[in-house]
Amino acid sequence: MLYILLAVFVVILTFVLRFIIGVEPRTLVTLYLLAGIIFLFSFTVAEMPTFGSPENPTFNEVPQRYLEQGVEETGAVNIVSSVIIDYRAFDTLGEATVLFVAIAAVAATLRSH
Amino acid sequence: MPFIQVYGIYVILHGHLSPGGSFSGGAIFGASLVLVALSFNLEAGSRQIPHHTASVLESGGALGYVLTGLVGVFAGSYFLANQLAGFPMGQPGQLFSAGAILVITVFVGIKVASTIVTMFFYIIEGEK
Repeated sequence: MLYILLAVFVVILTFVLRFIIGVEPRTLVTLYLLAGIIFLFSFTVAEMPTFGSPENPTFNEVPQRYLEQGVEETGAVNIVSSVIIDYRAFDTLGEATVLFVAIAAVAATLRSH
Repeated sequence: MPFIQVYGIYVILHGHLSPGGSFSGGAIFGASLVLVALSFNLEAGSRQIPHHTASVLESGGALGYVLTGLVGVFAGSYFLANQLAGFPMGQPGQLFSAGAILVITVFVGIKVASTIVTMFFYIIEGEK
């Protein structure tokens, strides 16, 4: 029932936009595509876990281990530092590589001046 | 200028103790060198750190990172190992603690600072 109502609404909206307001067909297609994307994203956001809720899937045993044993395993008081440079050091190496590639690209394009 | 640089070095060296770290500290240090070029002129900025030195420092930072990681492999552990590779851990909370974290932080700080400086000078001089 709801879907039929939605379809009727979309058809009426199309006719109103096309023949009464006079929107071009290309613009209409773009509008509907954007509306569909907004619809999808809104439902995705609605399905996301509540911010700060203790039942969130991020609160599993991994951050618990970082918080409880991070100091004795890495020796760093700053937990952020112990994560990015010890536990996830390979990821930080990738970040450094991004910087290196960026500077190499700038040098390659601008040095010939 | 010297105060900004001292603060940048402080942020880099205390990366494992306080908020901040290699990326933010390197950005502060690089910004101090960029500020010289902005407030005086391009020649004064280039005199602070020659281009060749900046490039060498930049590649050296990346190499140092990888070599610090390879120490872990040669010590019989995994790549980028810290405690298992036998780095001296020290007392948590002291300046010289946390083994490889301090070394890697210094290397990444050098790399970020020289990257910012090099990119700034390349882009500015590209206008000529």
